[in-house]
Amino acid sequence: MSNEVRRFSHGSRVPGWDDAVDLTKEPASVPDPATTPVPDELRAEIEAAMAKYPDRRSAALPALAAAQRHHGWCSPEAIEQVACVMRLTPAYLTAVATFYDMFDTQPVGRHRVYVCTNISCSLRGADELCERIEQAAAGDPDISVRHFECLGACDIAPMASVDGVYVGPIELDEVDELIDDIRNGRPPLPRKQLRLRPTADSLPLDGKDNG
Amino acid sequence: MPRPEIKMITFSIDGREVQAPENTMLVDAAKYGDVEIPVFCYEPKLGQPVGACRMCLVEIEGIPKLQTACSTPVKDGMVVHTQTQRVHEAQEAVVEFLLLNHPLDCPVCDKGGECPLQDISFGWGGGRSRFVEPKRHFQKPLELSPLIAIDRERCILCYRCVRYSQEVSEDYQLVLQERGAASYVATFDGHPYVAPFSGNIVELCPVGALTSKPYRFRARPWDIEGAGTVCTMCPGQCNVTLTVRDDRVLRVLARDHEEVDDGWLCDRGRFAYQSFHVDERITSPLVRVDGELRPVPWDHALDVAADALKRAGGAVGALAGGGTTNEEGFLLQRIAREALGSPHLDSQRAPVDRRSLLAIGDPGLQATVPDIEYAHAVLVLDTEPVDEMAILDLRIRKGVRRRRVRLAVASARPSALDGNAALSVRFAPGGGPAFAAELVAAARGEAASDDARAVVDLLRGAGEDVVIVASERVGAALAALADALGLRDRDGAGLIVVPSSANGRGLREVGVLPDAGPGLAPVARPGLHAAEMARAGAEGELTAFWLHGVDPLRDLPYRERWEQALDRATDVIAHAAFLTEGIREHATVVFPVEAYAEKDGTLTHPDGRLQRVRPGIGLQGRNRYGWQVLADLGRRLGLELRVLTAGMALAEVAAAVPFYAGLTQDEIGGRGIRWQEREAASAYPRPEGLPDLAAPTVREGAGLRLGTFRSIWASPEVEHSPALRFLVPRQRVEMAPADADRLGLGDGQRVVVSANGSRVEATVTLRHAVPAGSVFLQDGLVRDAANTLTGSVVEIRPAVTSEVAG
Amino acid sequence: MEKLLFKDIDEPGLNTIDVYRRRGGYERLRKALAMPREAVLNELLASGLRGRGGAGFAMGKKVSFLPKGAMDVYLCCNADESEPGTFKDREIMQKNPHLLIEGIIIAAYAAGANKAFIYIRGEYVLQADILDAAIAEAYAAGFLGENILGSDHSLSLVVHRGAGAYICGEETALLDSLEGKRGNPRLKPPFPANQGLYQGPTLINNVETLSTVPFIIEMGGEEYAKLGVENSTGTKLVSISGHVKRPGNYEIELGMRSRDIIYGLAGGPPDGRKVKLWFPGGSSSPVLTGSDEDLDLPYDFDTMAKAGTMLGSGAIIVVDDSTSVVEVAYKTAYFYRHESCGKCTPCREGTNWTLKMLDRIRKGEATPMDLDIIASVCENIMGHCLCVLGDAMAMPVSSMVKKFRAEFEEEIERRRQEADLASAMPEPELPLIQGAVA
Ligand SMILES: Cc1cc2nc3c(=O)[nH]c(=O)nc-3n(C[C@H](O)[C@H](O)[C@H](O)COP(=O)(O)O)c2cc1C
Ligand code: SF4
Ligand code: SF4
Ligand code: SF4
Ligand code: FES
Ligand code: FES
Repeated sequence: MSNEVRRFSHGSRVPGWDDAVDLTKEPASVPDPATTPVPDELRAEIEAAMAKYPDRRSAALPALAAAQRHHGWCSPEAIEQVACVMRLTPAYLTAVATFYDMFDTQPVGRHRVYVCTNISCSLRGADELCERIEQAAAGDPDISVRHFECLGACDIAPMASVDGVYVGPIELDEVDELIDDIRNGRPPLPRKQLRLRPTADSLPLDGKDNG
Repeated sequence: MPRPEIKMITFSIDGREVQAPENTMLVDAAKYGDVEIPVFCYEPKLGQPVGACRMCLVEIEGIPKLQTACSTPVKDGMVVHTQTQRVHEAQEAVVEFLLLNHPLDCPVCDKGGECPLQDISFGWGGGRSRFVEPKRHFQKPLELSPLIAIDRERCILCYRCVRYSQEVSEDYQLVLQERGAASYVATFDGHPYVAPFSGNIVELCPVGALTSKPYRFRARPWDIEGAGTVCTMCPGQCNVTLTVRDDRVLRVLARDHEEVDDGWLCDRGRFAYQSFHVDERITSPLVRVDGELRPVPWDHALDVAADALKRAGGAVGALAGGGTTNEEGFLLQRIAREALGSPHLDSQRAPVDRRSLLAIGDPGLQATVPDIEYAHAVLVLDTEPVDEMAILDLRIRKGVRRRRVRLAVASARPSALDGNAALSVRFAPGGGPAFAAELVAAARGEAASDDARAVVDLLRGAGEDVVIVASERVGAALAALADALGLRDRDGAGLIVVPSSANGRGLREVGVLPDAGPGLAPVARPGLHAAEMARAGAEGELTAFWLHGVDPLRDLPYRERWEQALDRATDVIAHAAFLTEGIREHATVVFPVEAYAEKDGTLTHPDGRLQRVRPGIGLQGRNRYGWQVLADLGRRLGLELRVLTAGMALAEVAAAVPFYAGLTQDEIGGRGIRWQEREAASAYPRPEGLPDLAAPTVREGAGLRLGTFRSIWASPEVEHSPALRFLVPRQRVEMAPADADRLGLGDGQRVVVSANGSRVEATVTLRHAVPAGSVFLQDGLVRDAANTLTGSVVEIRPAVTSEVAG
Repeated sequence: MEKLLFKDIDEPGLNTIDVYRRRGGYERLRKALAMPREAVLNELLASGLRGRGGAGFAMGKKVSFLPKGAMDVYLCCNADESEPGTFKDREIMQKNPHLLIEGIIIAAYAAGANKAFIYIRGEYVLQADILDAAIAEAYAAGFLGENILGSDHSLSLVVHRGAGAYICGEETALLDSLEGKRGNPRLKPPFPANQGLYQGPTLINNVETLSTVPFIIEMGGEEYAKLGVENSTGTKLVSISGHVKRPGNYEIELGMRSRDIIYGLAGGPPDGRKVKLWFPGGSSSPVLTGSDEDLDLPYDFDTMAKAGTMLGSGAIIVVDDSTSVVEVAYKTAYFYRHESCGKCTPCREGTNWTLKMLDRIRKGEATPMDLDIIASVCENIMGHCLCVLGDAMAMPVSSMVKKFRAEFEEEIERRRQEADLASAMPEPELPLIQGAVA
């Protein structure tokens, strides 16, 4: 058996592929403002975004981002609200939202941790780091950990983005502290934040490692 | 935008010099040299090529990389190779990629035998696979809508269906989700893909990923036949091919006609064929005996009907509508006028007098359907294309999207096209003719409302070629408006007048009008129009009604009066396909009407194109041809009509309508011919001036003004097609949120809408775009239809819901 | 070497307009606006500046392609920076945002553009916030908006945040994304210079390219062209990462010996290990080896091209001999499979198939024949796709298979044997690859 190529063991699943429609629902056209309440704050944010562009549709990404901030994720309700303000169909916005990695079309925790497992980070142990962070956060509904492609900070590999804040290089023994910081709403590993890091080029070439 | 000029160039393909129009895509240009380049995603009807599938790669000298022939415009002197090693390898590679995850379940696939993927794999594939990984397997088929099943395993992600939804029907409901290899076709949050034109995606899909649920597993390509004809379910008169097996219609496909339908169909036209073969259809003559309609032999029914008509004589009111052909309409009016001596004939929902019809039908003022696409501006006036002439909706969208036509919409009810319009204006329900008169004033530089001036400025500002798509009920003002805008005798500009029934234009041109005979000739003694007939019937002046394809209770306004009229009439002779209420309750004799798939005759498209309806299946049950039934009746009434075939009936029409002179079935052929383009058009009667244009009517009243519309889904064919039944509309009252607030009503609430003591029940639908003060109800419904109400100012209050125990 | 882009880069407060101006900021703008547009364009042409985003197209030439006329012309700054290994634009935007803004204003002036956008990847939250603040300062100081510094040049500038999709760095996908759509690349032609954003003529340049513009104005194009080597003029930011002691961004003069970058600046692999392979220009560049021949190559556009690879975005990823080439190939393919937009067949299916084959190698389920299939599939992808994302996987993966064939074959054999041993024991549940291979 072992010399054969194993089949059907790593079959694939993409969420959505197996879903039929619900025939009891109405077709989803552009939501009518008369029947789609939108929180004022969100509406204002979306309208401000639309005003920035020659074509209002350009605001789709900022509007979805605003809705995600507001609702925690791009829920069907959130998407309907954006659709209503932007005069687009919710399907259009779903197509957009599912294309981009940063929009969550499934519920997630309040804190998003993206752990980079791309080449440079994985060369420096990111795969194990990612596993450890996942384990440390397991069972905490407030923290969603996911592996991510190169985040553009390979100089601090292995690294993670915690609610948008870049930290790295993260040692395995710093994982608990990191999760603790996140849980308690503290800045994540402040000493390891990218914002504080000098440019490599401006450091003296004294043979000291900084990786 | 005006039509571009076409220049021929010479290029070389596989070593041969070929002439082709400049800038056509190589895929199409290659066909001029009989070279086929395989494609999946390319479909010019969907707009700009996307170059996604990469099936069409070819080698062009001077360009290092292979190029997609679907997106490369051909230029003079281009040297193209489609048969080199490189091209073959690329094609084999693409086929191999496409088949990686394709299940190849052709034996149980509806597409098998007519599948581009099969054909291209065979013709251009390598014939082997090196893919040993497990293929993906998913649940299938899944429902995408009650009409369409989706099999995501078979999908090759060619983008056609989603491009259609976004760039043709513009409903933006069908999209791709996720990205890369995980992409899949889906809708928002599991909502079904239901839209007026959704079925076209089934025809577009190059594999068996999207299939028609009513057609699934009904037939294989080798045991069906195709029969070309014309859909008669609305004035769009789309060209169709019927898929016939064992004398049953199993499917309706588009028969691409650029001048008519552009290759699309609406879902009613595509799926309502089911109603041809349901038990509820009348396929035998019926006579009312002891209060009940009973099947009888033809001769008996014809005798009873002839006796009844003879008895009533000049007191017969005759109406024609639905899919009534030119021949049938012509024979009907001859019998009424000549054998019965009755001038009371009509084919219109709202009366428009002969002089107005003459003016708006003038050949100098007619636009063609494709003109909509190439015009500088289009005005949609007092009509909702998607409901009244469905396929035009797509054409107008195409013009706006692809050729930057400036669109103005003027209507009482918010329109489906508002989103595409550069300007939308609203007038009070029923105010179409008056608003048109204002437009005329504005166009002449006289005093007019701001809205009217804005519309005229927009049209003028866009350019000279203006097409006005308007409902027939607007009447005379249309001609005045076209003249004031300088559209007379302008190629590419003019009017498209949407009649109230599928062959409305034909029926009026063959003389089914109270004040005009064949060819719109004046008549010595004008008769009553439909609404007057109802009154006259109710008052006993008319004693018999002769209904051809019309049920007044369903299709015409003033339901209450019609009920009285039909009730009081001694006889009601009906030609009908279904026992709708008016027929069921009031007809004394019923003749079965053929479905259009059985019919033989001609129709006149709103832009003047005569088209043939040709039988694709034999007559069902004991049906007879409509022209034959009328000829038999005529004979019994002492009128020898000399028609033994449909062709002879057409000859009679052509002899009587001067501007149809000499038309034959052969000349009309499979693609139809516009009579305005024939010599006989010069015989069109000279316009005789216009009646006074409607003055703005100011209707005062405390209540809400009622507007009505008839949904595309409100028709007996839809009710009797099992697959479409879910679309049969129920009454709802569309109103502005402000009005609802004032009345304390909420969305979805059941209410009673009443006027002058008449009432209907409805569900509140709040629509932001409805102007405050107006409400809209639907017509054409089985119950609670708007024509039940006897006034145009209504009151709305919550329905008293009966307490249900538990 | 004198630094240009990284001059004063770590000076506190350089991201504020005050400090920036104290360092001579916006003086180049003043100088440019005093010149006729054509003169600015001529300086750009003379500088020989080649795009720093990946394709290395001459910037001045791109500007000169824009049609002249009355229509709206757009400028889009490509700050999507998602090519694995690349993080140089981040450094500029975070620490010296006004340099980029000044470059954008000057480039827009030369191009006749009046609306500009910075498309920044959504993950760069800090950098986008800094840019927003800097733009507000620039508006307040009259460097943006109507009639800049009293000239007839007006410009609006908006930061547009992406949302996580590598493909949006491809210029036409960027435009679609900026128009609020899924980021699918468009067919070319038409090229963005003719029909780009909102169908208008559009100039698209990388952050680093645009940030270099002020120096060209300051020094003069010819003077700038003296830096670097022929056909690769000027300085370049190099992001170096992976197995090196001092990863980070370095500004070099083009033409520097690669060894001097990898070892000299970045300190080479730690613990005395050897360079096994390196990506010279981001993960989409065919790999070079640790051979002296490769390490001695001068780091410039033409040399890299001649060596069968490319300078790309200037991102060097170093892999030392502690890592199996199979894992590197797998990670590379995984990335492009994940980022393929799915629009065209060879890329969508080909990246997916390649990944599945590499995965089988990792799991000990492959045979050496699979290497031939991988090579052939890569061959079938290359040159057949709508954009070059497909090639971006095919090129490095096939280069690894070709240059490290022996190691691949050894690994295949070794892992098969391991798998055999493992299967003698109760079979463990196979973990799904994260994100699932569809
Ligand atoms: C798949 C793909 C991803 C790309 N990503 C980036 C990117 O993140 N940043 C960038 O500046 N250019 C990127 N490019 C290159 C751009 O398409 C374009 O060539 C560049 O932005 C032009 O700017 P430049 O001439 O200043 O380099 C990418 C190209 C491809 C094909
Ligand atoms: S789509 Fe075509 S190739 Fe695929 S299973 Fe159906 S018939 Fe066969
Ligand atoms: S469902 Fe059919 S039409 Fe739609 S993308 Fe798939 S193969 Fe193409
Ligand atoms: S638009 Fe009208 S004619 Fe065309 S298919 Fe639909 S119902 Fe038939
Ligand atoms: S590889 Fe992790 S940030 Fe680039
Ligand atoms: S037909 Fe040309 S790419 Fe699909």
